[in-house]
Amino acid sequence: MSAFSYENKTPIISVNSVSYDYRNSQGESIARGVRGIDLDVYQGEFVVLLGHNGSGKSTLAKLLNGFCVPDEGSVTVAGIDTKDDLKIYDIRSKIGMVFQNPDNQMVAAIIEDDMAFGPENLGVPRDEIEERITWALDVVNMSEHRKRSPSKLSGGQKQRIAIASVLAMMPDVLILDESTAMLDPKGRKEVMDTARMLNCQKGMTVILITHYMDEAIEADRVVVLDEGKILTSGTPKEVFSKVDLIKSAGLELPIASKISSELIALGYDIPFALTDEELAEGICKLKSKI
Amino acid sequence: MQIKVEDLKYTYSPKSPFEKVALEGITFTVNEGDTIGIIGSTGSGKSTLSQHFNALIRVSHGKLYVGDMELHAKKVDLGKLRQSVGMLFQYPEYQLFADTVLQDVCFGPLNFGMSKEEAESRAKEAIELVGLNFDEVKDKSPFELSGGQKRRVAIAGIIASMPQVLVLDEPTAGLDPRGKRDILELVTKLKKSYCKTVIMISHNMDEIAEYCNRVIVLNNGKLLYDTTPRELFKDVKALEGTGLTPPHTAKIASLLANNGIIFSDLPLTVDEFVKAIKGGIAL
Repeated sequence: MSAFSYENKTPIISVNSVSYDYRNSQGESIARGVRGIDLDVYQGEFVVLLGHNGSGKSTLAKLLNGFCVPDEGSVTVAGIDTKDDLKIYDIRSKIGMVFQNPDNQMVAAIIEDDMAFGPENLGVPRDEIEERITWALDVVNMSEHRKRSPSKLSGGQKQRIAIASVLAMMPDVLILDESTAMLDPKGRKEVMDTARMLNCQKGMTVILITHYMDEAIEADRVVVLDEGKILTSGTPKEVFSKVDLIKSAGLELPIASKISSELIALGYDIPFALTDEELAEGICKLKSKI
Repeated sequence: MQIKVEDLKYTYSPKSPFEKVALEGITFTVNEGDTIGIIGSTGSGKSTLSQHFNALIRVSHGKLYVGDMELHAKKVDLGKLRQSVGMLFQYPEYQLFADTVLQDVCFGPLNFGMSKEEAESRAKEAIELVGLNFDEVKDKSPFELSGGQKRRVAIAGIIASMPQVLVLDEPTAGLDPRGKRDILELVTKLKKSYCKTVIMISHNMDEIAEYCNRVIVLNNGKLLYDTTPRELFKDVKALEGTGLTPPHTAKIASLLANNGIIFSDLPLTVDEFVKAIKGGIAL
């Protein structure tokens, strides 16, 4: 995977010193959301948000599409402030979200009807909706299921339909909020392959929230949240090589990183590895040196 | 408590157009003290099999012994069985229903005929065992808790009946890394007290490799392997066609084997791997 170039890129999403608390009906704060977040996401970037439960990942995602508006600071999407009530639908049409449980996101009994729901609400003409559905199903490789019921699909297939439904709204950004958490390994792979393909081939900006460290390895940038703040961010290698910081955030390293960091600590001359292949290569080189 | 499965077969919707054979010719034994992993892709029959263990699905063909109970017999003492075999379903936090944590955890023991006092003392013990502060959570609504805490309350509700066998269907699915580790350490702790036998369904091969002493592989309703994780994952090709992938340590070991670096004993955990390298395997 080639490194993402930040040159001459403008951010599609800009988060500026944002704080947000969950409040009761009297306006009193009942739970911390996020604190002082600064984050720019660039067009075409693949960003992974990591953090333990309650670290603020999902709150941040909800701030990005105007589900929540900041108490302090501002969020702009393609130059539009999420506080601008009149333009909230412009923002929602630019950012598509897919959540953890696909069953919560299906509204119709037939897949093509389910997919039409979004664009219909945006006022897209009927003919164009048809075209978009055909295109989106083709993108996620589910065309043959068009007339079928979502209830007959596997978890991975359902999430691909959920992604296709979001694509039918032609968003610039796709946010996957733990969309792989309930899937088996095969389903997870289907969803991850789809997300990567959209990012690489269609230039879609992808923001992925996950507890699986393996899914963070191929990101352009990893952002780690802890106690509502950004703890660290950078390329996967930069982030995961901060071994102690990752542990303190309640996260785990990918297995290959764990092994390589322990070996490095023991004085072995191998590079820090993210993938099984990198680690194996490092150990083989070590052997050939001796 | 020993569990013996003999030639178990199960068919959904028999003699109808929707007929589907879910299990066929399954034979194996779970010994007391085993932590046994059941693995297989979605639709391989894992859940159908595990639901037999406390008679949520009745034996329709073959034999099933749980301790001295014969589950294939016409009459089964379901109360006794379900008290002995605790079953944790996928996403058990969705089954919480009572107004308070204490009520929820007491539900099982009360239904098994214990007095209120006894049930509450069992509940207290169980809640503390799963790592929650009893006085802090007992009067809270289970719905106020975080995802990891909810799951622990659900587990407390099962272990409050002091089962001797625990069947866990994907116990760590959807949890963050810390929550996963907490649950698995809890299972290890339980094994040291009354719950000696654990049957665990998981898609996470790294967990199976680290925590199970035996593993059963199901494929299309048939038993493909009954072996130890070390034997099973030794040959990375063995799992081809089952939709399963080996744990990371096994994959790294097989990449190294291609380059002439052979482990005498397959490492199943990070510690074992590092120890093998330290012991001079690569040098």
